[in-house]
Amino acid sequence: MANTDHKRFKDDINLLKSGRSFYLTLIICLVVFFGATGLLITAFNRLITRHDEQLSAEISTIMAEKMNSSIKFMTESVNSTAVLLSSRNFDNPEQIYDILKNNTNADYLSAGFIDQSGKKYASDEEAKEFAKWDLMQTAALANPVSISAPYRSSVYGQPVITLFAVLRYADTRHGYMFTTYKLNELQKIAVTESLDNDVEIWLMNAESSNIIQCAGSDEHSIGSWANAYLSMQDINADDIPVYSDWLTRIRHLEDNIGISYSVGDTMYSQHCSRIESMPGWYVVVRIPGNALSATMHTFRNYVLYFLAVLLTVVIVLIANMYRLSKRDNEILEALSTHDPLTGVLNRRAFDIAAAKWIARGKDCALIFFDLDYFKQVNDKYGHNIGDGFLTKFSDVLKKNFSENGIISRFGGDEFVVLTDMSGTDEVSALIKKTADDLWSFSLPEADKEGREFSISFSSGAARFPYDADDLSLLKKRADTALYEVKERGRNGYLWYMDLSGPQERQ
Amino acid sequence: MKKYCFILLTICLTLLFSGCSAPSGGASESAASPISHFEPLGTVSENNKNIYVILKVMDSSYWQVIMEGCKAAGEDLSCNVYCGGTNNETDWQGQRVLIEEALAAKPDAILLSPDDSVELSSDIDRIHELGIPVALIDTAANTESFDICYMTDNLYAGQNAAKEMLGRLRDAGYSDYDDISVGIMVGTAKSQTINERLAGFYQYWSNNAPGKWSIISDIMNCNGNIDEGDALLNDFLAKHPEVVGLYATNNGPTRVLARVVKGAGRKDITVVGFDLSDEIDDLVKDPDYRASTILQRQYDMGYLAVGSVLDIMQGITPPVRFIDTGVVTVNEENMSSPEVREVIDMN
Repeated sequence: MANTDHKRFKDDINLLKSGRSFYLTLIICLVVFFGATGLLITAFNRLITRHDEQLSAEISTIMAEKMNSSIKFMTESVNSTAVLLSSRNFDNPEQIYDILKNNTNADYLSAGFIDQSGKKYASDEEAKEFAKWDLMQTAALANPVSISAPYRSSVYGQPVITLFAVLRYADTRHGYMFTTYKLNELQKIAVTESLDNDVEIWLMNAESSNIIQCAGSDEHSIGSWANAYLSMQDINADDIPVYSDWLTRIRHLEDNIGISYSVGDTMYSQHCSRIESMPGWYVVVRIPGNALSATMHTFRNYVLYFLAVLLTVVIVLIANMYRLSKRDNEILEALSTHDPLTGVLNRRAFDIAAAKWIARGKDCALIFFDLDYFKQVNDKYGHNIGDGFLTKFSDVLKKNFSENGIISRFGGDEFVVLTDMSGTDEVSALIKKTADDLWSFSLPEADKEGREFSISFSSGAARFPYDADDLSLLKKRADTALYEVKERGRNGYLWYMDLSGPQERQ
Repeated sequence: MKKYCFILLTICLTLLFSGCSAPSGGASESAASPISHFEPLGTVSENNKNIYVILKVMDSSYWQVIMEGCKAAGEDLSCNVYCGGTNNETDWQGQRVLIEEALAAKPDAILLSPDDSVELSSDIDRIHELGIPVALIDTAANTESFDICYMTDNLYAGQNAAKEMLGRLRDAGYSDYDDISVGIMVGTAKSQTINERLAGFYQYWSNNAPGKWSIISDIMNCNGNIDEGDALLNDFLAKHPEVVGLYATNNGPTRVLARVVKGAGRKDITVVGFDLSDEIDDLVKDPDYRASTILQRQYDMGYLAVGSVLDIMQGITPPVRFIDTGVVTVNEENMSSPEVREVIDMN
């Protein structure tokens, strides 16, 4: 019974309510929250990307300049040796070769000399390399120093570069001193403690777009050849035009050009710098953007995890608070809208609910019920007995009318019912059944004292929209019919439409 | 309604968390396929040294020639040669398994053609640390822990290809003042051999080609798929009708170039490729076409590598660690010469 009452309370309250539910509000809040979080993530990611681009571009520029400076230092070192040997003005090239060959402190793999006639003072194997790789062409470019393109040394089996420096001897003659270094000597130059796992450094030939790696995270990749036009195929399609333009600018021998592009999900910053002593060659430095922002990404993820946990806690709290608040509101609403004794709607709530009910436009009937001689019952048997009657009467009304209607205690012993109606006969039958039910019930308190009761009710009914098309008038018409029943001696019911004359119908 | 709210919340939280995940990199891909375990080449004698040879593609005629070289060396120099290998030239993980098998057999020396110059470098380092002589054949590795390497210097071979292309284009009557261009097709972008042949071609071309002769930067990559290569080349020729030369870096693309050029009757296009497939052999022999192919001396690689590791076992240090076995350029003019004929017969 309690559940039934609770459901009816809720139904009544829902009838009185209008507007959004808590859940709709919650969904809106969630949408706003996730929208805001999405914007936050997007803004954060953009910030990281911009930070990566700017910082990695600056670092790659610095790295390229560092490499270039180091290569310059290497060439100046070779040139200094050549100048020093030139100052000794040797008569015989063999003397120069002996000094170079026996220099145990040098960090080069091998060294030798080419005299003015082109004769090579070197090992047989090294001399073969000159022919194979056309190294004399590079030597001729020395002014005062030149560097060969990387090639694989037969002697060492590894990619090497050979540096040439002009060396004067025998007063007026000049030749070229040469020194050969492993390509990975350049890696030693390029290494940085903080970024050595991320920075990749290549030498790149502007004309052919050939690249050879000389530093990178995997030492075994050093010395690998590739061609930039083939490598370009790995780049995301959107960035290929920019990359292609970058290659074209290098072919036109522009200097210090930077570029950003993505391969899959990884953004790279790349910068090139021309190598002065290696005509047509550039040092290219590439840094993945995320190398710089791994900490930022971790921080961002922590923020997101925190937000997610916070959101979950807040939602659980809100849901719990809502549940408690809802229960309290239901109690308060029930108290403010329902008659505390009988549990039916009070007059104010009925007026609101009834207005909505008839606004649907369906045929319905409004019935006023008035317990006959209720005041005497109260006076004679006390208010407890009277209240028991009222409760039982309301129960009877609920039983007969609550399925298709709303019930209210209008005041004292007066009740009103607004019910859907397919015909007056159907409603009349329910009124009669209510009368029968009222006669048949027994009041336990009364029975205990051996008293007998006979109580009846009078009722008057009016139809919507036939007797009245607004609530106020409808109530008035039903009340008129009730009044007439009372005038006729009570214990009966009457439809407003059945009143005999215009005077009765006032 | 409450249930739906929590489902929505769960979905949103899932999306929120999924947005946090960082991209992850992957190791280089290895195309796994069944490996061929070690089998002796020729007769085995208990008193002989045991040399284990690990090759790339066991059923390929190119690698079988290397195997023949190893076998002949084993017979000539009285050593036991065991040969195993993968059946796909990117299956470096299969080769890693074979290296373990070889080490378990306590070899006196190992000959290896690495499927991946980078991935297998650490394995070569390990063999070297165990004091076992290692000779690399056909392909170098990016490590210094090998004793000797017999292979074609692919950078130099690529230069030879460019030299041949320039010569044949001049033979075709093109002058320094003609605007002409050539196209390139590679078999894969991941192979160091192919990258070196490509780099060598570009290097020689940029140093020696007339200013008006250009390479089209749109490099075709058939990714080891001959049929895909056909379609790629047909599209390329339709897009670049001005092309007068085509260069292929290895066997697969060379077959593509030969059959498409011949199929389309494009006698105006000069073809330079690698290795001796039926398709390029047919094109080279056809006097109506201008085609050349670069052949390696793979028999020598196998034969000489076995000899070198035997020397190393006896304490003889080779004067050089990298030996370019050289290439032979075959074209219509020289293919009948005895020297070229000998290399062709070896292929």
